[in-house]
Amino acid sequence: MLVLTRKLHQSIVIGDGIEVVVLEVRGEQVRLGIKAPKDVAVHRKEIYDQIQQENLNASEVRPEDIPDA
Amino acid sequence: MNLSGTLFGDIEFGPSDVIIFKDGLIGLPNLQEFVLVHHKDGSPFRWLQSVQVPAKAFLCAIPQHFVKDYDPVVGRAAAKALGLTDKTNRLILATASIPSGKPSDMTLNLAAPILINADTHAACQVVLEGEAYTVKHRVFPEAKKKVAA
Repeated sequence: MLVLTRKLHQSIVIGDGIEVVVLEVRGEQVRLGIKAPKDVAVHRKEIYDQIQQENLNASEVRPEDIPDA
Repeated sequence: MNLSGTLFGDIEFGPSDVIIFKDGLIGLPNLQEFVLVHHKDGSPFRWLQSVQVPAKAFLCAIPQHFVKDYDPVVGRAAAKALGLTDKTNRLILATASIPSGKPSDMTLNLAAPILINADTHAACQVVLEGEAYTVKHRVFPEAKKKVAA
């Protein structure tokens, strides 16, 4: 993993179109600003992981378990 | 076109039946082409059947069948990506998860619905920001524990 040290209001640039800015640092919380093209999806990692897991769960349902609704 | 080796046997479909997820499902970017298979006539359940991997089908449900007031706000970016306007016919689905042998423990992912432009068949899975919906919305009430008399 590439590791970079940044100060408040400094940023990093990823590729040509993505910029991540450190907006605020307060104790253990860091607020980031992300500038990215509209077609680049940005997710909180833990939410992304949960959704991926739910998608996989949906692909493992057995048809006989579907309730009559 | 014909797809064999699915959960449902052979499936016949036309090019216009294919739903395109340009970015795939969340966490599964390589699955981009699907057809919609109805579970049963009149059922709120649909399978998103992968065209690329016949063995993969994702159970989805029409969320409003279970949660009447479910009305996710479609962000501008998603609306633009799918070419949705006020006049576009759209279909909203939620992935459904059912633990093996426990239909009453079914949950719907209401936090990341699937949005389909019913006119063009462009689709994407969106993450709702700042809404009260969860990725594991329980549909049926939890079974009550038996109380000793």
